[in-house]
Amino acid sequence: MFVVLAAALGYLVGNEVQANTQFDRAHRSLDITRARIDGVDGQLATVRSQLTDLQGQVTQDSATLAADTTKLNGAKVALANSQANNSRQSTVISNLHTCLGGVEEALNALSVGDQSHAVAALDAVAASCESAVASDA
Amino acid sequence: MRDRWWRRASVAAMCVAVLAVLTTAVATDLQAHARNRSEHTELTAARSRLAKQRTDLAITTYVKAVTTNHRNGLQASVASTLGQIASTQSSLSGAAVLGYLQSVDIGTLHTCLGGVQQSLQQIGAGDDNAAAQAISAVAGACSTIEGGTGDGLVYPFDFPDPDVITVGSAYYGYATNSVAGNIQIITSTDLTHWTAVGDALPSLPTWATPDETWAPTVMQIGATFVLYYAVRVAGPGGGGAECISVATATQPQGPFADSSTGPVECQPNLGGSIDPSLFTDATGTPYLVWKSNGGGGTSAIWSQQLDAAGTAFAPATTPTQLLVPDQSWEGGVIEAPDMVMVGGRYLLFYSGNSWKTADYAVGVATCVGPVGPCTKLPGPILASDAGMKGPGGESVFVDASGVLWIAFDAWAPDAVGYPNSRSLYLRKLSVSGAVPVVAPGG
Repeated sequence: MFVVLAAALGYLVGNEVQANTQFDRAHRSLDITRARIDGVDGQLATVRSQLTDLQGQVTQDSATLAADTTKLNGAKVALANSQANNSRQSTVISNLHTCLGGVEEALNALSVGDQSHAVAALDAVAASCESAVASDA
Repeated sequence: MRDRWWRRASVAAMCVAVLAVLTTAVATDLQAHARNRSEHTELTAARSRLAKQRTDLAITTYVKAVTTNHRNGLQASVASTLGQIASTQSSLSGAAVLGYLQSVDIGTLHTCLGGVQQSLQQIGAGDDNAAAQAISAVAGACSTIEGGTGDGLVYPFDFPDPDVITVGSAYYGYATNSVAGNIQIITSTDLTHWTAVGDALPSLPTWATPDETWAPTVMQIGATFVLYYAVRVAGPGGGGAECISVATATQPQGPFADSSTGPVECQPNLGGSIDPSLFTDATGTPYLVWKSNGGGGTSAIWSQQLDAAGTAFAPATTPTQLLVPDQSWEGGVIEAPDMVMVGGRYLLFYSGNSWKTADYAVGVATCVGPVGPCTKLPGPILASDAGMKGPGGESVFVDASGVLWIAFDAWAPDAVGYPNSRSLYLRKLSVSGAVPVVAPGG
């Protein structure tokens, strides 16, 4: 009976020691894990804060880009209009030069009594003169 | 009995004690296991939370990276857009400036064209004076179109073979016939702005061919202004000889009157005489220099003394040949002589080569006296440049402040040859030693 009791008691004590050892090990692991959780929590908070800042910048930059794009498109339209106007004016200038050259040639021809040459000179530039006047109207 | 009871009691007590010990051990063991399970449960939960937090951190870090890239892309786009805006606005500014300048050009062209057209209409209506006024009114605008006065251009219309004289503080320019009349006349007070006066020679003698008068020269001799000019003698089919005639007026703007019954000089055996130019020597004696066309030979420059009134050759004088073409740049032709005295030296300016081309140029010779002999300086002193082509028909004069000038006609660079216009140019002239130097344009 004593032997049985000693064996039982020994078993119980050993079992308890083993349980306590496991407990100690789990407790240390729990402490380490909790410390890691704290570290990751800190990192996560930092990254989330940075992300929030970035998202704010993205919102602001998107608005800036939209406004600048609108401004650029407006400038492009204005430039296209200005270039079109300049092209039209270049044509007018070219026609006026042609017209003026013909009229001056007619004057010079008249100065030597060459009326047929004068008429031919005016006829040659009639289209340019009409275009210049029409474009300028 | 008592021992027996005692023994039984001891056994019972022992059993109770053993039972108590066992119970306590079991309880302690169960408690230890319970703590152990609880700790493991917490550990498992903590590890799970750690894993979740790590996953969240990884995801958040990834989102941050993506957002950072997105932000960087946006900022690059903003920078690029700002650059494009700056570039576009710069182009827009340039286009606006160009547009403004074009508007000015168009306005100037309209002004010039309007005046020229009005002049043409007035000619059609037979009112040459109104035509001249219309041309004068737009001379500034037309000069601007021709490139302004940077190359010495002062009158942008057809004004060939110019002769400029100084009368007090005013200047008068005369030129070959045009729509403004037989002899064009323009006037200025600053040598920059010129106004058409009209026709210096409204009527031609009956022996002259209309629209065939050119190369005038005017000089004040006493109270009279004497005009020599080239003219074609009327003939069958309008093909008479080219000669020189003379007219006079009491004021520089005319009207000059030619009451002659025939030309002063013709040299028919030399192909005719043209391009007269008046000159007085150091004693005030007048001379006429001119060109003979050459006929079957070559052209030549001649000189002969005039009488005191300057309206006829001096008695007992004959023409003296001064120059013939003998330099390569002259192309076999010399004409439009103009003799002046500068610093005690006689300088004979002349034009060489074909007047219709950009090869036309001005040369000069030094002369011992008004009837020679003369020695040419090598090469032309005035030739085509970037601003004008084919200068010639020159006339040298001194302005009211004593500055020496050369007046000449020239083609616009992109309009050489008839029926384009030969416009009037003025440039300052200096003499270095015996060599005249024409100031560059501008």
